[in-house]
Amino acid sequence: MGDTQRWYDESADFVKSANSQRGISFVIHAGDISDFGLSQEFKWINEIMLQLKYPYVTVIGNHDLVANGPLVYKKMYGELDYSFEFGDNKFILINTNSREYVFDGSTPNLTWLQSQLNNNPGNKNAIVMAHVPPFDADFDPKMQEQYAHILSSDPNVKFTLYGHQHTFKEGTFYDDGVKYFVTTSMGARGYLIVTTWKGGYQVERIEF
Amino acid sequence: MKKLLLLYCILISFTTIAQVDTLADKGRKWYIPDHIKLQFAGNIGFMSGGPGYLSRNKTLETDILFGFLPEKFGGDALISLTAKTTYSPWRVPLKNTYYVVPFSLGFYLNYTFGPQFDSKWPTYYPKGYYWWATSFRPGAYVGGKIGKEVKYRKKIKGLELYYELGTYDLLLISYVQNTKYLKPADILSLSLGLKMAF
Repeated sequence: MGDTQRWYDESADFVKSANSQRGISFVIHAGDISDFGLSQEFKWINEIMLQLKYPYVTVIGNHDLVANGPLVYKKMYGELDYSFEFGDNKFILINTNSREYVFDGSTPNLTWLQSQLNNNPGNKNAIVMAHVPPFDADFDPKMQEQYAHILSSDPNVKFTLYGHQHTFKEGTFYDDGVKYFVTTSMGARGYLIVTTWKGGYQVERIEF
Repeated sequence: MKKLLLLYCILISFTTIAQVDTLADKGRKWYIPDHIKLQFAGNIGFMSGGPGYLSRNKTLETDILFGFLPEKFGGDALISLTAKTTYSPWRVPLKNTYYVVPFSLGFYLNYTFGPQFDSKWPTYYPKGYYWWATSFRPGAYVGGKIGKEVKYRKKIKGLELYYELGTYDLLLISYVQNTKYLKPADILSLSLGLKMAF
């Protein structure tokens, strides 16, 4: 799920819907937690997300980088690029909001991404998740190709997850075997349920 | 941008000057403020303070307040400048030169200093990508006050204690679109202030 932005009523409904699902381990927020980058907004969304029966983690969105947003995000959630392992999966959450950094080549940090994929001795499913998908205009066009190449060169990457576009999308956009999934916004009242097992996965669209 | 703000302040000052009571002030220069205010909270700083002017009919106050938010309360130390105008149509006299102002209505425009805040979005964003300026916050409030006319060494003429209950544009729009989850109390903040007239 992602793009809670200014959709508090809908986000509260999402929590109800997610809590009625079975077998959920945790929730990942695909970014744009806030709309204006205000600390008050982050607090409201956190208050809503804490009603989930499951833990939740986040990846940063472009709206979260507005004004003092980065300061708030770091205090509440930590680093903008980070990874963790869960079961047979390695989750790699990366800041892809290139426009917020004037497309200066710093974002996304491809060196970091490559090192995170390399450091996967157990060959777990590598699940890269970010806010802006590489085929979006807010992703640095100079880095798009290399980003897609890094993902497709790693046999542990089967699919990758995004938000930002406020609509569901899925496809092998670079014809390289990696399937890209975009989840919709809370305003459009939808989210994805991702199920993984050793070497496999399934993605299901839910509307609430 | 700073020029724009200065212009705004000057405009406000001029509109006020026209209303300054020259008779009562006996030769006081037009730019000498009629009062100073010290305010706690109200979305313009943890503490703010500054000079202000009162209209001839004593219903309209216009203030320039410098605000400060310490890192301890704001997560970041912020400095801001606010122009605010308060309209208080009624004044009810009580005993011993005390009086009550039962209702005030006002609005403000706040400017927060800092490179992280924009007044005009840089050109690397498509037009209308973000529609609001992060440095300027317009807000509105209602309130009331109690006061006393005093004579202290011919310098202090009056003291007032006021409260204001207000919000600003971004919180208001958040509430209006989410009346199920958000309550009015979620977007309203209470401020308290002291006014010293001279």
